[in-house]
Formats: sequence, C-alpha cells, structure tokens
Amino acid sequence: MLKTISDTLENKLNGLYYGNRMLLPFSCCILKIVIEDDILMDFSPSSKSIFLNETDAYTEIYFKDFKNLKDTISKYEAVKIIAVEKNKDIFQMENHIKLALRVEENHKLIIEKTDEDILFLE
Amino acid sequence: MFFLNTDLLPAEVRNNLTADTLNVTFVSNADIIQHPPIYLIAPFIMLLIAIATGPLFYKHHWEKHYGKYSIMFAVVVAAYYIFFLNEFSGLHKTITEYISFIALLSSLFVTSSGILINVDRKSTPIVNTVFLLIGAILANFIGTTGASVLLIRPFIKLNKDRIAPYHIIFFIFIVSNVGGALTPLGDPPLFLGFLSGVPFFWVVQHMWYMWILALILILIPFYFFDLFNKKTSNKQQYTGKIEIKGHKNLIYLLIIVLAVFIDPAVFPWVPDLSPLPFGIREIIMFAVVYFAYKTSDQKILKANEFNFEPIKEVAFLFVGIFITMLPALELVAIEAKALGDKLNVDVFYWATGVLSAVLDNTPTYMNFLSAAMGKYYLDVAIKAHVQHFVSVDIIYLEAISISAVLFGAMTYIGNGPNFMVKSISERAGITLPSFFAYIFKYSLLILLPVYTIIWLLFFYGKG
Repeated sequence: MLKTISDTLENKLNGLYYGNRMLLPFSCCILKIVIEDDILMDFSPSSKSIFLNETDAYTEIYFKDFKNLKDTISKYEAVKIIAVEKNKDIFQMENHIKLALRVEENHKLIIEKTDEDILFLE
Repeated sequence: MFFLNTDLLPAEVRNNLTADTLNVTFVSNADIIQHPPIYLIAPFIMLLIAIATGPLFYKHHWEKHYGKYSIMFAVVVAAYYIFFLNEFSGLHKTITEYISFIALLSSLFVTSSGILINVDRKSTPIVNTVFLLIGAILANFIGTTGASVLLIRPFIKLNKDRIAPYHIIFFIFIVSNVGGALTPLGDPPLFLGFLSGVPFFWVVQHMWYMWILALILILIPFYFFDLFNKKTSNKQQYTGKIEIKGHKNLIYLLIIVLAVFIDPAVFPWVPDLSPLPFGIREIIMFAVVYFAYKTSDQKILKANEFNFEPIKEVAFLFVGIFITMLPALELVAIEAKALGDKLNVDVFYWATGVLSAVLDNTPTYMNFLSAAMGKYYLDVAIKAHVQHFVSVDIIYLEAISISAVLFGAMTYIGNGPNFMVKSISERAGITLPSFFAYIFKYSLLILLPVYTIIWLLFFYGKG
C-alpha cells in the first residue's frame, strides 16, 4: 500500500535503520540529504556516497561512507532530508518537505518535520 | 659556586666576563640541557600536514583515525624526551599548558551549546554588520570558539531567506578570528601567551587600535556585499525581539571567565597544586563542562545538534600538537639567537601570519614568541623571562600576537572555530566554497589588503 509523508507524520510512524541502511515507510522523491556535515545531492547510480532505492511501499537509503549510523549520529543530531511526495509537483517549492530523521535504539528511526529551532536551509 | 649560563648574555657582556672575577662556573645551553635533534620536529610537521590535508583529501579515513595519528606522533616525541634526553620538565610544562587550554575550550564549547539565541528581525546589511560587530566584541569574553558556536546559528536564521556563502565567510573572518584579538580569552594563541607570562591586559592595551582598524576594513566590504544581495525575506512581520534560551548557561559562562583569573600568580591565596599538571582553575572549568552538559535543556542541545565530536577532535589533535611542537619550540629559540638581528619585525609579522594561515595559529604564535625572545637571550619556557620580555620591546610581541590572530582567518584550517562554523553551516544545508575557493575568492582579495595596511601602518620599518 502506498504511504505518503503526510500519513507518516500524522500517524507518527517510524522508519527503520540497519547499519548504514535507512528505511523510510513512504514513497517519495528525495532532493537533498544532510548527514553530519556532508551535503548529498548526487543521487545518480555512480554516487560513491549514497544509494537510493524508491519502491511503492518504502524508500531505502544506503549511506556508503558510514558503517553504522548509530555510531555516527549522536542522540541530539539528525539526518535531514528534503523530500517531495510521489504524487506532488516537484517544481513547486511549497511541496518540498524538510524532515529530521533520528536514530534510536532497536533500529527505530524517528521521523519528524524539522521545527523552527532546527537549522536546515534548502 | 654559582653556575652562569653565558648563552643568556649579550655577546659584548659575555666577552668581557671572566669566571674567576665572578666566582662562577660558565656553562652554555648545551651544558645544561640536551637539545633535541633537528629530525625530532618531523612528527610535528607530519601531524600539521595531516591536519591540513586529512579533512580535504581523505576525509572519512581522517575522521576515523585522526586521534590515533595524533597520539602516535605525540608518543614518539615524548618517548624521545623521556628515554633519550632524560628530560621531563619541558614535557610536564607542556602537559600543564595543554590541560589549561583544553579546559578553557571544552568549557566554552559545552556551555555555549546549551544556549539558543533567536533574533526576530529583518535581515538588512546594517543589522548584519552590527550583528558581526557584536560577535567580534563577544569573542573577547567567551573566546572565538564560544562566540562562533553561540552566534552562527542565530546569524544563519536571521538570514535564512537570503543566506549566501559570503555571510558565513565574513562570520569566520570577524567572529571566529579577528574579533578575538583583544584578550587572552579571545583566541587560543593569546591564551597560551597569557599562560606563559604575558599579562592579561597587555593585549587590549597594545592591540585595540589595530583591532578596530581591521574590523572597520573588513566590515565595510561585508556591508557592500550584503547591500548588493537583493534576495528578500518572505516573512512580513517581525517582533524585533531577541530571545535567549538556556539562561543558566550564561552563569556558567561567567564562571568560566572568572575562573581564568584563579591562578596563584594572580591571587596568592589560590592553592598551587603543582607538581600536578593542573590547578584550581582547570578543576572549576572541567566541573563546568560536567554540570553544563548535565543540566542543559535537552531541546536546546537538540536544536544546536550538540555533539562532543568537535571538542574531542580539538582535544586529540592538540595533545599531538602540544607535545610534538616541543622540540620545534626549543630549536626555533636556538636558531633565533643564531640569526640575531636578521629577524626584524616585518619577518615576525609576515612569517607568523603566513604560518598561522596554513598551520594552527597557536603553535605558530609560540614558535615565533620563542624566536623573538631568543633575540634577547630569553627563554619562552620561563614565565619570568616572558614577563621581562614584555617590558623590553613590545613591537615583536605586538606583531606576533596580531598576525597570529588575524591570519587565522585566511584558510579553513587557520583556526579551530573556522572548521566548526563551516561544519555547522554545512549541517544546516549551506554549500560553502572549497578550501582553495575560500582562499582565492575571499581571503586573498579581502583580508590580505587589510593585513598589508596594518603592517604598513604599525610595523613597517619599525624594528
């Protein structure tokens, strides 16, 4: 079943992570990812830093520069992404959603909209 | 029988003395301590090269292993001093200075991370210029590191709809570097100078006019850069409020600033804990680290994306720098004595500056302070000698102090906070110029003319 970003945020659904692999419970188009101080925008298959796989049920991201996200991201930090819902116009800036992804125990990935305090510019 | 080190005397005095008349035994430096061989500075140079190139060319390898490299180089030098030279005093002094240094930086870093500032004003060239000026002043109270950590986020937020790389670059120029030239709290080289014996208020007394000129000359181009930025904010209404969250951390900041003066040399009632390599001041600062971290608002730490990594990096790299630079400091002092009058104030200004730009400015400052003192047969490792040097001829110390601070802004690696600001900005999604673009597009065009003017006005032909 196709889940959207809005569904995920409304229902406070979590994603998953295993090592350097992140699973988001929605289908989307990702425009930008910031992990630590790496700004990732090259999502082509030849990218040495990242691999994206978008399916109808979920989106998976492999962070090739890191072995384990848990060792990389502290409890106060987040991986930040700019994403657009699959069925929305990617060229409309108001459709660009900024998300903060926080890694927790037991492979749980907390997904939340970045609030006012968190710095994340497109 | 007394021993007189003739190397500490001017040549004309040395030649007119005889041992019998003074009832002393003449010895030279070589008789007292064994100097390290020249090749012992190799670990220092290798470490500095690794620090300069690691984050640029082999980032992820460097991120994982920098601590091991630093410790490895430090162990090589320490082992040589202990087992081959049987010399412990220099190492002990170095470790004492390192602990003081890291106590100050870590306490400022952790405390600042628990404070969140929101400025709800419209971003305009004048607001931004005033903001940077306030940052420059603040840097002298809480250090360029503290001011950078505290202010970079509000500065980005203030400009979030019109942010451009030049905003961050000028922030690095002013808040992370030039601003901190007035007090030993401002920049690590000056703090190390203070620990070595330079009086606390010497810096502000002798550098305020250069500080003001440098700030004016850098803020003017910033104002025009910002004036030509035609992007405007989408937000229609502003409250004009400046909101500060994490008030108790402001008290911690005050404690850190006051703790700097808790030194037996300043107040005789302060217990001297030697031979322990730390004092009451350092104990207070480390206690502040613990309490600031434990009591900081979790939401603020999250908003600031707090991570111990930046301070861990400084702690590991500087343990290597402090220990490996020990032979370099000793050799520079010896060479300075040999070169004598060939080293004039122009050499000190530019050599300290150029090296501070590409190496770390703290060891560079110490190396050239050591060289300048060598001209007067004084030893930087002896506090009384430093205090005497300050009263002998101030032009060299002025040149070294101002250029070590100013030139730290020339590259991303010139000063610790530069990288920290770059990292915070990139975490916020801002793409910044590469290492070389920063130099060729910004620092050479903006800073070099300013620094040349300062040299011409205050140092050229003066010693």
